[in-house]
Amino acid sequence: MKLRNEEIGLFLEISDDLLRTIRESGLLHYPKEFGGILIGNYSTDKKIVNVIDTLLPTSYKSSKFSFERGSEGLKEQLETLFNGAPSLIYVGEWHTHPDAQPLPSGTDIMGLTGIAKHRDVNITSPILLIVGLTPASMELGFYVYFKDKIYRYETY
Amino acid sequence: MATDKNKHLNDVLTSHKVSKEQDLLDKHKRKRDEICDALVEKYGADIYSPFNSGSFAKNTAVNKKFDFDLMAPFKRNAFSTLENMFNDVYDFLLEKYSSSAHVRKQKVSIGIEFFADDKGDIVKIDVVPGRELNQDQYKEDDKLNLYVYSQFGKLQSGSDYIRSNIKAQVQNIKDNADRANLRQKVRLLKVWKLYNNKTPKSFFLELITIKAFDKLEISGGLWDRLKSVIEYIRDNVTTVSLPDPGNSNNEVADSMSDYEKSALSDDMRNMINRIEENSDYIKIYFPLNDKFPVEDTSNNKYDERKVAPSIPPPTRFG
Ligand SMILES: [Zn+2]
Repeated sequence: MKLRNEEIGLFLEISDDLLRTIRESGLLHYPKEFGGILIGNYSTDKKIVNVIDTLLPTSYKSSKFSFERGSEGLKEQLETLFNGAPSLIYVGEWHTHPDAQPLPSGTDIMGLTGIAKHRDVNITSPILLIVGLTPASMELGFYVYFKDKIYRYETY
Repeated sequence: MATDKNKHLNDVLTSHKVSKEQDLLDKHKRKRDEICDALVEKYGADIYSPFNSGSFAKNTAVNKKFDFDLMAPFKRNAFSTLENMFNDVYDFLLEKYSSSAHVRKQKVSIGIEFFADDKGDIVKIDVVPGRELNQDQYKEDDKLNLYVYSQFGKLQSGSDYIRSNIKAQVQNIKDNADRANLRQKVRLLKVWKLYNNKTPKSFFLELITIKAFDKLEISGGLWDRLKSVIEYIRDNVTTVSLPDPGNSNNEVADSMSDYEKSALSDDMRNMINRIEENSDYIKIYFPLNDKFPVEDTSNNKYDERKVAPSIPPPTRFG
């Protein structure tokens, strides 16, 4: 799946396989929220983010209306991926909205902003995938934090 | 300084993208749904499901103005004449909306233009009443008779009518949508039409563009491809036949008079001559939507403060 935001001229690519994996993980926790982090890399011109995999959290809290991702064990896994070939890095987050639209809540916006500004995060534009999920369907919302604002990607 | 014509046309398309006006678009959709519900409630078993037939359904809308058409398909026995149908729907809409909108009779539709809301936005929706040819036949052939209220090109007002399979019209432009991006050309011609106060019906422009793509090898950059279409219109508009894909007995070319066609041919000739003489003219014929200036995105990128793994903190989402 290929997406872009025309206003800022940035692109995102993600495979259908990964989206299937994300959907299945989300359904295992339905009707509670669930999520994880997104792994990938940037194109050489840094215009495209390729989302390649997800890491699921080993520690988290979740309910129908919230999801709190822990960070236990993440550092080791991310360092291993960074030193691998090809080198993969943290590019953003995903979580589900059970029986709701994939629109960012105030908490989501605060969360993504906090990540972008955190001293242990070196990327300036983390992405956020929200999965509006029901047992029969899913609706995707892809967002990016760019220069103090959140933008939504569109398919093209 | 010369204008880069391809880049300019691309910026024109970007600045007129419908999604830029999401708010206004949502307002149109809400009103359309409301009108749709009101018609179904009022006419009950005499009406089939109303559906969209404007450019929005065809995905060639430009955001300066939305063509929101709502087809209201009536059963044959609902009205004794097409005129009765047209007037009855008009009376109903007038009664329902006269305190919140201008309601007026148009060529084949009833226009509802809502008063500006507190943001100054104006929603306009055209309701097109149509009646199936024979009782219960619409489910099989999708054909509807429309009432021609006022002169419509060569079609006289009053007793005359046109038949149209509007669902097939919508399908037609969807079928053709991929070919060298035909829809881009239709959008650009609509931008020209809007800013230059020109008359051709959008449907006419769509069909003649499809015809140009059929007849010509269209290639090159955006300007070269648009120019091929403009040249085709210039050379063929006065003689071309444009059968309605919804009903081949309906000649859409007749929706423009001979005078309007030769004026259109002249417009196309002048436009090409001017732009080829001086590329800056392209900005006059195809202006940017000044509400949405196009920003230079060439320096934007996914930046990294340093090349090292990022470790995101625990984070709460809702
Ligand atoms: Zn959320």
